[in-house]
Amino acid sequence: MLKKITRRHLFRDCAFGVGKAALTSLLAENLMAEANKGRHHEAKADHVIFMFMAGGPSQLELFDYKPELVKWDGKDTPEAFTKGKRFAFMDTSFKDPSKLLGSRRTFKQYGGNGMWFSDLIPHMASCADDWTILRGVAAENFNHGPAKLFVNTGSTRTGRPAMGAWATYGIGSDSKDLPGFVVLQSGPRGPRGGAVLWSSGFLPTSYQGVPFRNVGDPILNLSTPKRFSEHEQREALDAIRDLNQMELDETGDDEIATRINQYEMAYRMQSSGPELIDFGKESPETLAMYGAEPGKGSFANNCLLARRLVERGVRFVQLYHTDWDHHDDITKPLDQVAREVDKASAALIKDLKQRGLLDRTLVVWSGEFGRTPMGEVREKGKIGRNHHIDGFSVLMAGGGLKRGMEYGSTDEFGFSPTGDKMNVHDVQATILNQIGLDHLKLTYRYQGRDFRLTDVEGQVIKPVLA
Amino acid sequence: MATFLVLLTAAATFAQEPVDFDTQVKPVLRSCIGCHSEVLTSSGLSLERRASILKGGNRGANPQLIVDAVKQTGDLKMPPGRKLSAEQIAVLERWVAQGVPMPDAAPGQLQAKRKASQHWAFQPIQAGAATASIDGFVRTKLSEKKLDLSPEADKATLMRRVSLDLIGLPPTLPELDAFLTDLKPGAYERVVDRLLASPHYGERWGRRWLDAARYADTDGYTIDASRDIWPYRDWVLKAINDDVPFNQFVIEQVAGDLLPNPKEAQLIATGFHRNTPSNQEGGIDVEQYRVEAVADRVATTGSVFLGLTMGCARCHDHKYDPISQREFYQMFAFWNGVDEMDKESDLRKFNKPFLEIGDAGELKKFDDWQRETTALEFKVSKVAEDLGEKAATDEGLKAMRKQLSDMRRARPKIVRTMIMKERPEARPSYIQLGGDFTRKGAAVEPGVLAVLPPMEVKGPRATRLDFARWLVNAKNPLTARVTVNRMWQEYFGKGIVATENDFGVMGDAPTHPELLDFLAMKFIESGWSQKAVHRLIVTSATYKQSSKVRADATAEDPENRLLARQNRLRLDAEIVRDAGLVASGLLNEKLGGPSVYPPIPPGALAITQVTREWPIAKNEDRYRRGMYTYFRRSAGYPSLITFDAPDGGASCTRRMRSNTPLQALTLLNDEAEVEFAEKLAARILKEAPVGDDAARLRYGFLLTLQREPRAKEAERLLKMVSRTGVEAWPNVARVLLNLDNFMTRE
Repeated sequence: MLKKITRRHLFRDCAFGVGKAALTSLLAENLMAEANKGRHHEAKADHVIFMFMAGGPSQLELFDYKPELVKWDGKDTPEAFTKGKRFAFMDTSFKDPSKLLGSRRTFKQYGGNGMWFSDLIPHMASCADDWTILRGVAAENFNHGPAKLFVNTGSTRTGRPAMGAWATYGIGSDSKDLPGFVVLQSGPRGPRGGAVLWSSGFLPTSYQGVPFRNVGDPILNLSTPKRFSEHEQREALDAIRDLNQMELDETGDDEIATRINQYEMAYRMQSSGPELIDFGKESPETLAMYGAEPGKGSFANNCLLARRLVERGVRFVQLYHTDWDHHDDITKPLDQVAREVDKASAALIKDLKQRGLLDRTLVVWSGEFGRTPMGEVREKGKIGRNHHIDGFSVLMAGGGLKRGMEYGSTDEFGFSPTGDKMNVHDVQATILNQIGLDHLKLTYRYQGRDFRLTDVEGQVIKPVLA
Repeated sequence: MATFLVLLTAAATFAQEPVDFDTQVKPVLRSCIGCHSEVLTSSGLSLERRASILKGGNRGANPQLIVDAVKQTGDLKMPPGRKLSAEQIAVLERWVAQGVPMPDAAPGQLQAKRKASQHWAFQPIQAGAATASIDGFVRTKLSEKKLDLSPEADKATLMRRVSLDLIGLPPTLPELDAFLTDLKPGAYERVVDRLLASPHYGERWGRRWLDAARYADTDGYTIDASRDIWPYRDWVLKAINDDVPFNQFVIEQVAGDLLPNPKEAQLIATGFHRNTPSNQEGGIDVEQYRVEAVADRVATTGSVFLGLTMGCARCHDHKYDPISQREFYQMFAFWNGVDEMDKESDLRKFNKPFLEIGDAGELKKFDDWQRETTALEFKVSKVAEDLGEKAATDEGLKAMRKQLSDMRRARPKIVRTMIMKERPEARPSYIQLGGDFTRKGAAVEPGVLAVLPPMEVKGPRATRLDFARWLVNAKNPLTARVTVNRMWQEYFGKGIVATENDFGVMGDAPTHPELLDFLAMKFIESGWSQKAVHRLIVTSATYKQSSKVRADATAEDPENRLLARQNRLRLDAEIVRDAGLVASGLLNEKLGGPSVYPPIPPGALAITQVTREWPIAKNEDRYRRGMYTYFRRSAGYPSLITFDAPDGGASCTRRMRSNTPLQALTLLNDEAEVEFAEKLAARILKEAPVGDDAARLRYGFLLTLQREPRAKEAERLLKMVSRTGVEAWPNVARVLLNLDNFMTRE
């Protein structure tokens, strides 16, 4: 009953305008009665920007400083550290006892609390007072595909909704003419797993993440086909609307009212899309700060785009940057990818901050796991690191968290957490918490079970909340 | 995230205060009961009753062990892999110190189980009265609300509806004409018979079966490479077209390989459970993904055949339904003997076992290649071994390795479809504690759910074939009910049981229980003929009634669960495309064969790890039905995904029907759609009376909506034409292809 009334109400009171429909997730308007359960508590943040470093960045080269590991460099790993643990590439990498590998990077302390960062990411280091770093976070699976699913959907298996889908399912989106959950990507290839990482799973398809490109049409099929003029496009839309209205009068099916609204929203997306990706009005200083070059597909452009999306009310923006999987060589290839993201990651935080958006935007910077304190030799003369799921670092900023704070710790080599244990489900619970959602209450009944993002686990990491 | 300060204070102040079992202890024990239940009794310990706690487990009768285990001070560390919070530990400590107080008369799970076995879905199917009919059952319920069925839909609407429902294509104009002018009795029934005999019937209903089978053309996970599984797809289409009895349809898919002297087709049928995703990324534990696939089969079997949420019992006993974790792994055991990859060296034969399909010459070429390659592989490893440390620098070996990799690349192109095949010896099966394959619990033998009728075992040990026969045994109360319910769901939008994959205690009750049993009984009595059930449903007045919304019925029954009218249903993703192909006259009606590559928006595939080619079809494959579109798990064909096609990651027993702006963008702007619009316009201009715009419009309506335009509609669209003349027609055609009416079966 509620659903019907809501739709009718929407249609009658909002006609074809933006109205209340736009206050829910754009892509979920027809399901708003079901979806818009609203927040469970007062939100500290309205938006989430998740910078996903696909492949598993080495925390030991970036921000988990281990001087003891440097001292033990080249020595056998004491068995106590690896006993009972499983690693990827067990057959190939662990035939010989693996040697510990100290980082070659130079570390320095930054910010009021003396947070350690390596020389690979000087720009990110300069935001030390804004970061909240979680150390010793655990994941569940040491292979990329399942591990990426786990960080995004809370499960290593396909078929569950992604975090952004849960967020928009829970509280909709503030955007008038853009999807509530947008996915951006950069790097030499797409993230392993592809579309399943931003799937709506068993939630209605309306909550699926929508991939945006920063070159060409930002959304597939956004442009009017060349065959038709803009005038013809509007003419067709008007006729579709009028005939759909006649059909609605004839049949009384509210679904047609929804369809009419969706076509109007599609039209608004067509006009707002090009404006969204047009960096023409950004100042040269802003472009320089990110290192963004209009028309180029880069992480820098995606960071700027993320800010613009958030400004336009988009709820959840996820940026993938690939190529962090450094088995072979932890030196030059890592330098390269760190350079690709360092400046823009920092710029996004600074830019959000200077515009007063950081307070209401939760920024997350993480991979699907971290890397081992042992070295891995796949090719003579080179050394890399293997996947490691027991103690990686997750960086967060803004969105109602304590700033310049480190929470959790790992042992002297970085194998295992020594402080309070935290896992990916805890991080997910915390993200939802900041946007006003209780991970225990945000559920969806499917196959007889009330599913949630955090499965049967997850605790909000309270000590980092401001 | 507790602090020890809290714990210290708590210990000092509250140690003496009695703990409350239900509110304090029980929630903590949830972390333990998954393994330490009456059924599993890991390490001999059950925490479900006070008596069993006091009796203790393998380590003896000492409740203090519980506290030591959760404190993780000694060698016993519970729960495995994590630690309870300080508060939770404190609760258990107080509870044990106070003598384990709990209401011993509440063996929660066992009691729930007894109750659950009384659940309607586990009771035998009841035969109704001889005079029973679909309409009778529906009318009885309606009359309780003083309602009746709506009048029959007009003939054109009915024709479009039944055609879309049975074959997934709108009627052609001659077909429509024939029906409209056939005034003899039985005209509608004749249409139904014709449609059920059409090969397109298999495409329409086969595609839905493929949803349940989680069909896709690629492996999924990260590499997401191609697999040859379309022969299975074609097997499904043919079996459904031939109306193979459903019991046989199921037996061949679940255990075709175990039938005596299985035919090639029966082997191909076992592709059903080979549609699980497989992971080819480097560094995997191969066994882990084999286990994952087997667990998927148990869960899929649960939802597709039994309407039970078996997946819930993978980590612990089912919370609501009588499914224990032990029973999950008993069912797991049926697939545990399949000769799939379980170690790294198997990765060379990725996705084994296969069936090679081809003519004799092709197969011989392939056999020769396989023999030679295997021989060379063997030789290379032998030489490498003999050379020892010198292997790395040996030129001869290097050359041999190159020869081997060249040979591997030169694999003769034959179709290798994935099938089931047993290993000579089954792997032992165990309960996997907490659903973790590295933690083995008690050993189990293959078996079925105790709450259902027993399985007949032909040999010394239950086989997959016994299991398949059990699934479709007429005494099994679930399979027939679940299957007819899914058919009903397709015709009315919702099943008689709305939770089509959960007939358990937490699922919805049937709105018309007798109707459900009536249909299930008819299904079995007809010799498990799916066509018989389809015919029964589509010839009912309930099906044929108008879908117009009725104010009187809406007030009483807002969701139309009692069916005082039909429901308007948006077409399935593939059928939205098919309807466009039919209207524009482009449809290529070819059945089956390898999947095809229709136009795709630029950049649509740039979201995955491995960029793969999408060679856009230039020939007639460009205009094949939507269901033949090559489906990549990591980047599904965008317009299909946008219209709610499943992604093949897990079994799908009901499609969502979303209504989004992305759908509007697809139908307005997608290259494929523009082509339909242009061709439709050209067809209108060529085939309708020249120079007569009203007649042209009428023809356009007939081609797209299979009805005449209403006066208002004609007036509105002719306005578009009058402004720009003949050039307006492609845009008018586009309007028709975007109408809600076009993408909806009314």
